[in-house]
Amino acid sequence: MSATNSIIDLLKRNDEKTIRTVYNDYKKSFILFAKRYNISEQDTIDIYQDAFIALIENVKSGKVDEIKSSLSTYLFGIGKFMIFQKFKKNEQIHIADDLESIEVEDDLYSEDDIDSQVRLLQKGLDKLGEQCKKVLLLFYYEEKKLDEIQEQLGYTSKDVLKSQKSRCLKQLKELIKA
Amino acid sequence: MEKEELISLYFEGKLTEAEKKTFQHLLETDIEFAEDVRYQENVKKAIKLNKRKQLKATLQSFETEKKTTTHFAKWAAAASVAMILVSSYWYLTQLPDSNALYSSYYQTYPNVIAPTIRSETKNDLQSQAFYAYDNGNYKKSAVIFSEIYATEKEEYAIFYAALSLMESNKHKEAIKLFDSINTHKESRFSYYVQWYKALCYLKLNNTTAATKILKQLSSEKNPQQETAQRLLKELD
Repeated sequence: MSATNSIIDLLKRNDEKTIRTVYNDYKKSFILFAKRYNISEQDTIDIYQDAFIALIENVKSGKVDEIKSSLSTYLFGIGKFMIFQKFKKNEQIHIADDLESIEVEDDLYSEDDIDSQVRLLQKGLDKLGEQCKKVLLLFYYEEKKLDEIQEQLGYTSKDVLKSQKSRCLKQLKELIKA
Repeated sequence: MEKEELISLYFEGKLTEAEKKTFQHLLETDIEFAEDVRYQENVKKAIKLNKRKQLKATLQSFETEKKTTTHFAKWAAAASVAMILVSSYWYLTQLPDSNALYSSYYQTYPNVIAPTIRSETKNDLQSQAFYAYDNGNYKKSAVIFSEIYATEKEEYAIFYAALSLMESNKHKEAIKLFDSINTHKESRFSYYVQWYKALCYLKLNNTTAATKILKQLSSEKNPQQETAQRLLKELD
């Protein structure tokens, strides 16, 4: 599926045009698809957006690289899972055979269980310098290995990168104490 | 191995089986270690949530983007409809105002038959009719003229009856009467019949019929030729 692969690559690189196109392309079908579950259109769009975000996250962390199904099937799978989660239906979730196991980190969707430290960190992250932001983003969000990051950001050695990362984490800790 | 290194490998997913055991052990026994791991987990969550907020905002902008476009499209459609209406109105107001033209061209046709001198001394129908006509009592004159025509079949009677009707704003009926006048016969009224008939059509906003008659009047030599030509020009 080379076409899908190129889309996946563009999505990895945050290409806004691609994001917009894919978002709009699948939206109508998703809304139609969700109609059978008796949800308001606003809720459907909400779920669609959350599913889409999950898709992007999985794309970024490389989980989507090896999927055998189409991108839309993958996306709809996430969406369906979220619909059931949200409305706690007792129906059995029949995931079609061609769907691989969808990894959705549902723990982060229950907004109520968020550690207060996380909230502070969210604010603190914005105050970090660009370089720290980059390093932390690549390491924790995109789950890249230090070797990859070193290459991408052009660090002379892995140790230099390690100490940078360490300093950034300390800096952030200080920021949230204030 | 340094604890920091172990945690780093944990997040990279590179821990060997042995290292995993060490990690788990430290997690359960070393409070500082556990706090450090928790802290970095929180950093990870925080970055993720921020990214999600960002993405959500972007996706929502796609939604309002479409709405704004639709809104704009609706506005543009409304504006163009308004434009069409305005230009139609403008165009229509450029058309000749039939009513105004009628008022400026219509003149009461004078009593040429039996101009009354003073009063209703003569009691015959004709005098009565013209007396009424000259005094502006067109309802009455219309009736009497019709009576005269009914009994005496005088051409002037029907002509003046029609004129009376015109004065009473009964242009449709007037046209009917005008039509019943045989204009093939050469009569002093023929051209006037045509002229007044045209005016009736004008008042009734039937510019097509009016124009037709006026064209005829404009082409033949008659007392109304010039006037007809003028009116015709204004109608074009």
